[in-house]
Amino acid sequence: MAMSAPFYKYGMFGDEMSLVLAFVIGIGFGFFLERAGFGNARKLAAQFYLYDMSVFKVMFTAIVTALLGVTYLGWIGFLDLSQVYLVPTHLGPQLLGGLVLGIGFVVGGYCPGTSVAALATGRFDALVYAFGIFAGTILYAEVFPRIKGLVNADAMGQVTLPEVLNVPWGMLVFAVVLIAVCGFAAATWIEGRTGTGR
Amino acid sequence: MSSPPINRKLAALAIALGAVAVFAQPQRGPFVRLDTQQLALIVEQEVDHVTPAELAAWIVEGRSDYRLLDLRSAADYAEYHIPSAENVMLPGLEDYPLLPSEKIVIYSQGGIHAAQAWLLMQARGFRASYTLLGGLDGWVDEVLYPALPTDAGPQEIARFEQTAALSKFFGGQPRTATDASATAPAELPKLAAPVASGPVVPAAPRRKKKEGC
Repeated sequence: MAMSAPFYKYGMFGDEMSLVLAFVIGIGFGFFLERAGFGNARKLAAQFYLYDMSVFKVMFTAIVTALLGVTYLGWIGFLDLSQVYLVPTHLGPQLLGGLVLGIGFVVGGYCPGTSVAALATGRFDALVYAFGIFAGTILYAEVFPRIKGLVNADAMGQVTLPEVLNVPWGMLVFAVVLIAVCGFAAATWIEGRTGTGR
Repeated sequence: MSSPPINRKLAALAIALGAVAVFAQPQRGPFVRLDTQQLALIVEQEVDHVTPAELAAWIVEGRSDYRLLDLRSAADYAEYHIPSAENVMLPGLEDYPLLPSEKIVIYSQGGIHAAQAWLLMQARGFRASYTLLGGLDGWVDEVLYPALPTDAGPQEIARFEQTAALSKFFGGQPRTATDASATAPAELPKLAAPVASGPVVPAAPRRKKKEGC
């Protein structure tokens, strides 16, 4: 089979169509976030108090599903992995950024995506949160010239775990799947201990 | 006796798929299968190349729907290159940022390296890759310094008028048999001349798509 994905990069559709598809996929994404209860800040914050491990489970389910999908589609020659965009790795800055995002997540009760889903259902706290996102973005843009050195530190380029750890791709896939399944079992056990687990 | 819950089944499925994936080779390696018959047909039908005149017309029109690759050394490239060309040597072609959907025209000095690069590009799935017929030599002979044969008929003269205009656009010099320059070895135009004097600057900045979330 000839390589034919990513569709956009192989010229299956143009810029306009990609915007239409982004809209349709975005609607689907928001719909399922809301259906999973992620439009509710209490449910999201409960993750950090270990009452409700839904966020952990959903994230790991998404990772495992996408990981297996990408691996098999690449294997049968449908998806050209070299054309899939990877965010460049900056270890230190991204650890710091992750920490800031985590603090914002537990304090505000949303991550950027879920705040938009919650805003769509008319939650006032999500409106305040969205305002914070805009204010923070503008603030970041203003101070960017001063923190440029920090932002660009530890540049590792577009790297993947198999490259960094020097293990075969398939071995890493299997390891991540096992870690996820063990994580699921542990999460369910923790929910049982903290009370509200289903 | 009820069957196990859905999440157990999904976990089992994920583990099974993960175990099989240990043997997966999802990345495109250096080994490919080629349809040699199809490649032979493309070459036979002469749809594997563009002519210097076609390329010149694209540049004059200011088209930006193609990438022009110059395979020669950086020194040769610095001395002269066709407007809008990007310099990339054969060993660097593998990692050069190109998309499989792009129209790519490759040239070298004579054309042999370009033809070899064309085969490599086809093997990597770049269907819309072409060579420049005759390479840079062809460009010099047909676009920069077109020659009018002494026994030319009226049709040939009419066509020569057109190519002569094109030649001047790119900073070249059309040659007729009476010209002294007809026998003298052609000198390559100064690099800045055709770009600066042309009404259209074809090397428009390529739109960089921002990616990521």
